[in-house]
Amino acid sequence: MSEPLLEARGVTKSFGGVRALRGADFAVHPGEVAALVGDNGAGKSTLVKILSGTLAPDGGEIWFEGRQVTVPNPVAARELGIETVYQDLALAPELDPAANLFLGRELVLPGPLGRLGFLDKAGMRRRTNKAFADLGIGLQDTGAMVANLSGGQRQSVAVSRAATWVSKVVFMDEPTAALGVVQSARVRELVRRVRDSGIGVVLISHNMPEVMELADRIEVLRLGVRVARFRAADTTMEQVIAAMTGALGNEDVA
Amino acid sequence: MADRETREVPPPAADDERAEEVGQAGVRGALRRRLTETTTWTFLILLAIVAAFALLRFEQFATVFNFRNIAADASGLMIIAVGMTFVIITSGIDLSVGSVLVFSGVIAAKVMEGIGGEGWGAIGAGLVAGLLAGLAWGVVNGVLVTKARVPPLIVTLGTLGMALGSALLITGGIDVRGVPLVLTTTIGIGQLWGVPYVVIIAAVVTAIGAVTLAMTRFGRYTYAIGSNAEAARRAGINVDRHLIKVYGLSGFLAGMAGMVSLARFATTTIGGHSTDNLAAIAAVVLGGTSLFGGIGTVLGTVVGVFIPAVLQNGFVILGVQPFWQQVAVGAILIVAVYIDQLKRRAQERGERR
Amino acid sequence: MRRRWLLGLVAIALVATACGGDDGGGGGGDTQQQYKLSLIQGVKGDEFYITMECGAQQAAQAAGATLDVQAPDEFDASLQTPVVNAVVARKPDAILVAPTDTKAMIPPLTQAKAAGIKLVFVDTTTENGAELAESEIASDNLEGGREAARALAELTGGKGSVLVINVKPGISTTDARAQGFEEEIKKTPGLKYIGQEYSNDKPEVAAAKATAALAAHPDLVGIFGTNLFSAEGAATGLRSAGAAERVKIVGFDAGPKQVEDLEQGVVQALIAQKPADIGKAGVQQAIAALKGEPVQKKIGTGFVVVTKENMNNPDVRPFLYKSSC
Repeated sequence: MSEPLLEARGVTKSFGGVRALRGADFAVHPGEVAALVGDNGAGKSTLVKILSGTLAPDGGEIWFEGRQVTVPNPVAARELGIETVYQDLALAPELDPAANLFLGRELVLPGPLGRLGFLDKAGMRRRTNKAFADLGIGLQDTGAMVANLSGGQRQSVAVSRAATWVSKVVFMDEPTAALGVVQSARVRELVRRVRDSGIGVVLISHNMPEVMELADRIEVLRLGVRVARFRAADTTMEQVIAAMTGALGNEDVA
Repeated sequence: MADRETREVPPPAADDERAEEVGQAGVRGALRRRLTETTTWTFLILLAIVAAFALLRFEQFATVFNFRNIAADASGLMIIAVGMTFVIITSGIDLSVGSVLVFSGVIAAKVMEGIGGEGWGAIGAGLVAGLLAGLAWGVVNGVLVTKARVPPLIVTLGTLGMALGSALLITGGIDVRGVPLVLTTTIGIGQLWGVPYVVIIAAVVTAIGAVTLAMTRFGRYTYAIGSNAEAARRAGINVDRHLIKVYGLSGFLAGMAGMVSLARFATTTIGGHSTDNLAAIAAVVLGGTSLFGGIGTVLGTVVGVFIPAVLQNGFVILGVQPFWQQVAVGAILIVAVYIDQLKRRAQERGERR
Repeated sequence: MRRRWLLGLVAIALVATACGGDDGGGGGGDTQQQYKLSLIQGVKGDEFYITMECGAQQAAQAAGATLDVQAPDEFDASLQTPVVNAVVARKPDAILVAPTDTKAMIPPLTQAKAAGIKLVFVDTTTENGAELAESEIASDNLEGGREAARALAELTGGKGSVLVINVKPGISTTDARAQGFEEEIKKTPGLKYIGQEYSNDKPEVAAAKATAALAAHPDLVGIFGTNLFSAEGAATGLRSAGAAERVKIVGFDAGPKQVEDLEQGVVQALIAQKPADIGKAGVQQAIAALKGEPVQKKIGTGFVVVTKENMNNPDVRPFLYKSSC
């Protein structure tokens, strides 16, 4: 197996008196979908926030491409090539999809106008239309406010934003939680395309059938530590759930 | 290492074709959006009002003389309202603008008086001092809102009192009158090719504001922060620094309005600006900007400034009693915003798929 | 559709208010010349100006002219200017106006004169009033100030400190009153004149200044309030400080609230102007100017000293200010 792209080793984090992570480990490799599962309160969201730069860990190490790093803020994560699709999507509802795609990374016009900050709106629109087309997203009117899109379309915008900018690792926190059947299928297709291009995809989901279908590997978090790792092809949903509830543990299985 | 079974995935449609399809739909949508936009509607309301007054009192209302005066009288409010547009789009508010206007005027007049004489040197120094005073209050607002995390309504309510109080302390409550005459005769009431200088100043400020908001990164960040500040933060935008700039801009423009007022009236007019803040907010909202942030345009604000200005002028021409004028302007504000709400809901229904 | 319906409503509302306004409109066609006059007061809701309006309306009716009345929300040049500009656009034959600043109101009023409108300044004036206006009509405010000094000297028994609460510098009328008072009070050596404070035409500021002066000068025996709000505010301040007995107040203007103060003994004398006479004279001079007849460049109207004792006399009562015509 190739070297892990992004790894958490013994990460700890407390909120007041609550110890959310108690020495958690995690790893994702290039070109795979690694699912991070666990019951409520297991610490999944906290771990994701730490690895994507939104939160600072209390202790432990983060390794990226074989060297130890710190991820002090979301921009630092982006610079490493890590993108995140947050559970709340983190979209600006009154802006259009192109503006959201390029949020914080706007294209400016060439020359002196660009130095003054004039936006290359046409360029951003074009790149957005292409990104959507590439990823098979059927958005009729890309000038519409994101607020006026359906839940699934909004999810697509958030996912394609991450997919467009990501170069190494993308975190997807509950990407199909609020979606219907057809839209969920499209997002799953998108996930596979991203995986196939060599990116490491970290999937956080409560939806066990989806996890079993999409993931290459599954890592189980329980009460702030990793308790099991599985290869999706070699395991059953029951085994995974058993690990989540503590009935089963197989740490150190390769 | 056992491989996962790969699924047959249909190849994506020829990239450029699909992109073009999506693009075309975008153009159609953009056109529809433009036609139903708030600004269009409030502009039509303004046209209707102008047409009504012109119909009723043509030789009195529809003259260059009258329109020139309406524009000159509205120039100070226009400048303030441009700054207010930016602030409200970030889902903030600035109640201190009238007081900052007065304070800036006082500082400028005192500097001019202090340097003495009738020359442009004294005037220039005074104007710069006034602008800096406005900027300073704006930055104070911005810092308190971002670093102290006090809600903008409260912060600017506080600076409203502090700025006006400071102005009263400095002047003892009496308008400062030592402004060099040449400032009034040239910029204050002077004209360039028939257009009053104060109107030109307001127009330039408005144009720069409109372009900045619609076409630059600064404008985009303003919209983004108003729409979802947390998302902007996660996208790497320095939200605090941007907000300080926005409030600073509002204070700076209030200072500029103070300079325009000083030039026109040659006195600080301390008592005349207690409702400027509400007039500016009403203008911005009338123009289609949402108090919840993320939506609005400077062009809309222009329309919003002129609707009450034209109404007040027209009512006086018609001979309507002064108290009725206030009732009417307030009622039309409500009607105009109501129409905007109807249109907004219709647009949402139309765009949802 | 709903939106068109609402737009129509707006249009109807406008037409309705148009009908609610006066007739104005284009001119000509009448055999008898009906003059169109406008009165621009210094501020809305002030009984002095309302009484002036009543007198002006009576005179206008008698002369067969129409009189429209407008006013700014505050006594401030930045608010009076748009009103003047709009009235000028209306093209009245003459404007009676009380300028809110001796300098700042010159540009818009100059524009008015340039548009061919005859100006009559009522109550206040501008620095160049003699050139700009056909006639300047006001109370002889210097004499009014002197009257106030005489009244206060009598009321206080001639011993102690006295204070003037003025409005703000730059208003011709109140500046003159303060000046007249200052000159006349010197004739009573026992009274020490401690200077003037400004109320900015706000009663609450006048109240604060009165109580502050009381604290600084325990031998304060008299206050002269140079206009309605200044006197009213001073009375309120003294009352809340419990000094209403000790300190005598002479006010200028006899509005209903001040007459009440007089009745209750809070204020001891009021120097009432004759705003109705000012309004009447203003209309008469305006029409004379329009007809090409000789005008009086300056008219000084007189005063009535009102006290609790004489306020119901038939020769004093008519001069109390009205709050509606």
